[in-house]
Amino acid sequence: MSETTTGRVPVTITVNGQPCTREIEPRLLLVEFLRRELGLTGTHIGCDTSFCGACTVILDGDAVKSCTLLAVQADGSEVITVEGLEGEEGLHPLQQAFSEHHGLQCGYCTPGMLMSSLALLAENPDPGIEEIRKRLGGNVCRCTGYQNIIRAVQAAARALREE
Amino acid sequence: MEMRFDGEFRIPMPRQEVFELLSDPEKFAPLLPNFHGLERRDERRSNLRVKVGIGKIRAVASTELILEEATAPDTIRYLGKGNVLQGAYQMNAAFHLLEDGDGTLVRWEGVSQLSGRILSIAGGGLRGYAEKEISSVINGLQQALSPEARAAREARPARPAGGWLQRLLQFLFGRREEAAAPVAAEGTAVEPPPLAPHPEELVPIREEAKQRISRVLEVPRGMPAGGRKEDQRLVRGKGLYVDDNQPCGLLHMALVRSPHAHARILGVDTRAAETMPGVVCVLTGEEVAGMTQPFLQIGPEPSANIRDYCLAVEKVLYQGDPVAAVVAETIEQAVDAAQRVEVDYEPLPAVVRCEEALKDEVLLHEHVGTNLTWQGVYEYGDVERAFEEAAHVVRIDHLRFHRFSSTPLETNAVVATWDQRDRLDFIGNTAMTVPLTMIATALGVRMDHIRLRTHDIGGSFGNKINNYPYMTLAALASRKAGGRPVKWVETRSEYMQAGGHGSERDYFDTEVALDENGVITALRSRHVDDCGAYPRYEPLGCVIWSQVLPASYKLRNVRIDFSQVVTNKGPCAPNRGYSRLPHMWFMERVIDICAHELGIEADEMRLRNYIEEFPYTTPNGCVYDSGDLPAMLARAKELIGWDEWKRRQAEARAEGRLIGVGIGTTLDSGTNNFAQSRIINPFLPFSGNSQMANVKLDLDGSVSVSVGSFPQGQGHETTSAQVVAEVLGISPDCIDVKPGFDTERNTHTGTCGTYASQFAVTGLTAVHGAATRLKEQMQRLAAHALEAREEELEFGMGEQGPEVRVAGSDRSINYWALSNLANYNTATLPEELREITLNATYKYTPPFEVPDTGRKYGNLTLTYALQLHIAVVEVDPETCHVRILDYAIVDDCGKVINHMIVAGQVHGATAHGLGAALLETMPYDEAGNVLSGSFTDYAPITINNMPLLKNVNMETPSPFTYSGAKGMGEGGGAPLHTICAALQDALRDRGVVIGNSHNSPMALYDYIRQGGGVKVEVEHRQSA
Repeated sequence: MSETTTGRVPVTITVNGQPCTREIEPRLLLVEFLRRELGLTGTHIGCDTSFCGACTVILDGDAVKSCTLLAVQADGSEVITVEGLEGEEGLHPLQQAFSEHHGLQCGYCTPGMLMSSLALLAENPDPGIEEIRKRLGGNVCRCTGYQNIIRAVQAAARALREE
Repeated sequence: MEMRFDGEFRIPMPRQEVFELLSDPEKFAPLLPNFHGLERRDERRSNLRVKVGIGKIRAVASTELILEEATAPDTIRYLGKGNVLQGAYQMNAAFHLLEDGDGTLVRWEGVSQLSGRILSIAGGGLRGYAEKEISSVINGLQQALSPEARAAREARPARPAGGWLQRLLQFLFGRREEAAAPVAAEGTAVEPPPLAPHPEELVPIREEAKQRISRVLEVPRGMPAGGRKEDQRLVRGKGLYVDDNQPCGLLHMALVRSPHAHARILGVDTRAAETMPGVVCVLTGEEVAGMTQPFLQIGPEPSANIRDYCLAVEKVLYQGDPVAAVVAETIEQAVDAAQRVEVDYEPLPAVVRCEEALKDEVLLHEHVGTNLTWQGVYEYGDVERAFEEAAHVVRIDHLRFHRFSSTPLETNAVVATWDQRDRLDFIGNTAMTVPLTMIATALGVRMDHIRLRTHDIGGSFGNKINNYPYMTLAALASRKAGGRPVKWVETRSEYMQAGGHGSERDYFDTEVALDENGVITALRSRHVDDCGAYPRYEPLGCVIWSQVLPASYKLRNVRIDFSQVVTNKGPCAPNRGYSRLPHMWFMERVIDICAHELGIEADEMRLRNYIEEFPYTTPNGCVYDSGDLPAMLARAKELIGWDEWKRRQAEARAEGRLIGVGIGTTLDSGTNNFAQSRIINPFLPFSGNSQMANVKLDLDGSVSVSVGSFPQGQGHETTSAQVVAEVLGISPDCIDVKPGFDTERNTHTGTCGTYASQFAVTGLTAVHGAATRLKEQMQRLAAHALEAREEELEFGMGEQGPEVRVAGSDRSINYWALSNLANYNTATLPEELREITLNATYKYTPPFEVPDTGRKYGNLTLTYALQLHIAVVEVDPETCHVRILDYAIVDDCGKVINHMIVAGQVHGATAHGLGAALLETMPYDEAGNVLSGSFTDYAPITINNMPLLKNVNMETPSPFTYSGAKGMGEGGGAPLHTICAALQDALRDRGVVIGNSHNSPMALYDYIRQGGGVKVEVEHRQSA
């Protein structure tokens, strides 16, 4: 990473499999990089204090809150956002389960919930309720009361185990 | 029909390379977004196939592409001819290439001529469609040529089928055989070497984590079954919330907010800010006061004279009151410059408690002369006599309902464009049309010059109704910035100070008269509401609570002296359960405190006091439509295992554990009668309610629905499609419901919106009415086309999709053909059918009357959904931490239209109530400082604090709605009553009376140690 004369720095972040290079202000947050520089607006901002998790993405295999990282910290890394979940033939089992079990209402927290759930299921293919609570405790939903989110994650876990 | 287009774009490639690219269809065609194939016929001619789509019609367009001119290095001309969708088109396109530094500026122009049926299908929308297609072609070209796309292709192995594509890649990137460098799997991108190396020891861990993710990511995909229509975009991250809009020329607005709760503004110096990089303009309070009228006030004199502008003018009245707005090219520049605005304040004493405000010693709005926004007495029956005849009188000195907010995850936001043609366009997330009146009158703009649209809204819960001062400010900023769009997105910290809190309420000197059986006969009390610094949607809350005056109970004698004051705190907004929730919490506290004092069990106390017969007219003239409260209580007790919990509670008590069981009965009143506003201010010209909807057969025969509500997650697209599908006898999948709200759809009245638990009633009745009107029109047309009588026709699905057929025959007509008759083929119609539009709008107006404002008597609401909750809690005797051991819910919202959505609303409302009862509060210190300035301080309820709920539904249809459905969704905040009742039950042996709606461990600890809570006196009299 080197600073240019304009005070901007070049970063290359591989997002959903596509390497993206931009010259950015060093203070730019990763979530702003995704939303503004790449137009990937599925990742949302819901608070200023890393509390709500609407901005959760996968960074090099782990769920992170993209409002808590500077984009320059993700330089050279691989990021997966909600836009990276679906395929040409349809939706990922987590996306299907959230819809089928009504695990979303307004949809604002949903991308973050999906990414945290993906990281959970990557580590634990059969999580119990307490494990789901622990791993989604950093994602706030104001609509669902979390009841159907728990159901959706368990249903997705079942579907993935059956693959 | 001829259309002309032009534009320019820049490519970071030398001109010669761009020329070679654009002059060879084999090179550039595969970069087109909808490319489907290319066949070369000779040096100048090729056949290009692209996928096209207009509405629901999809096709592959075949174009003969002729290179008419290729004059190196700067001019290329093409002629294209082809057929699509039974139409013909011809297109001339020219590219002029100009050197631009190390890249190339491409200027292009195109003329296309169209003829045939394509015109009648696409009609007036064709230009918009064509513009979209062309911009997607240009964007596709630009993206394909962007550095990262080139890099990705570069990293990819050349495909074996190569041919022209391989040549293209070689051409574009100057690589030949070595392009097929060793890489991972076919088609996957290779991670570029990290520019900043990570510590070696982390690499294996990172690789392992990535592989774990790959295992759950690389799995078969499919489509969900049975989800909502909205989900199709929302689970894909394709929702469109306000901040997702990035129009051309967008500017950003940041606000300078007051650090003081109450201060005089001595001066605002914007000079330094105005010279900061990227700053376009700055607005101050003084300036906006000169450009606008103060916002309309709902209250009567003297609070009608409150001067509320979109920026503070002479004084700041709460911490976070906006003082100046800075508009800049980027949000960072706006925020940087906002910090350079110098404001000179003279701090004044702050009023943060309603008792202080009532004294009028410190005035917020000095020229108004009082802090009181409204005061009135609601008195019914013979209260004095009932007290004289009472067997017991219970006196409760002070109860308090705290300030909190449902805090939608998407904050208030708007993109405003007030262009130089004097058209004002809002992309926003407010929740109803009433704020438009506020904005239009403040700005002095004709209503038909304002467009307001929403798409997806990230929750509102009533709060966003009060977004209008910020919408107004953004409009002024856009005008000052020469008509460029201005975006404002509230930060969470701003929201916590100013974004719309629920109002707080204090209940003083409550007296309850009961007979010898513990039946409440009368109640008198004095209630004071605190609405923060500006009333805005208030003082409507001063009457809205009276929709549930006796709550679920049959007492007939009531006297409540109700006032509302302003204080130096954030302005309040409607919040889920608006105004009724604080009142029902009060009534439930009264029931439980009386039961406690008279030694009657909570369930028995309710059975003795519940309203039994429905419809029931309350002492103030409201009509409760239907319900069966004793049956709900029995069902809830069964669900939670009441007897078993009572047994375990007794055992636990013996061990010194504090377990409590509590009941909460709640009314979720829906579809308000706006005439109740006249009880507050007799001069307000509002009454009734209404919602509109439109259902039409579009030009291609597809069924399309527009609603007048502002959906925020309640599934209006799904339930509207259900209702229309039922009317037409077809599948909801065949029906498209437009997302969000748009004034230009013309499906709204002045009271449209999403508030007051009403969509199932007003919204869906309007949808049903419009669908029924459309069906009548379709029936008339079909009878003509099929040469049959209308009563012989039936609606349903046929082999070719939705159709109308002659029952018992093979004669049918599909929707496309019906649409064709009304839209393209009108000369074949007899005179009497020529008026048919297949475009039906319906306005539903509930059967309300104007109440007697003198007596404060009349029906204020159409439906009453009911909720009965039972909670079991345990309080840790040492730490006072509260654990919810069990939670049961029975809800009754009449006939249910969609069980999945109703259950979701019940869960969500319960979460808000539980959060408010135990975690969420917005306290202020004596100086008016916000003490919950972020989510981290406020602690909205998370999955960790949320118990698993047991919920079941009962259906007692409403006699007042066509479907028997009642509106629901606000839930009345049932858990607040229920948790307080359970806490009281847990702590009864410690002499604690729960008197506050918020109960933190610290507060409970103090109650237990100091033996307290609320002061209660009981007077037992000789039986009369």
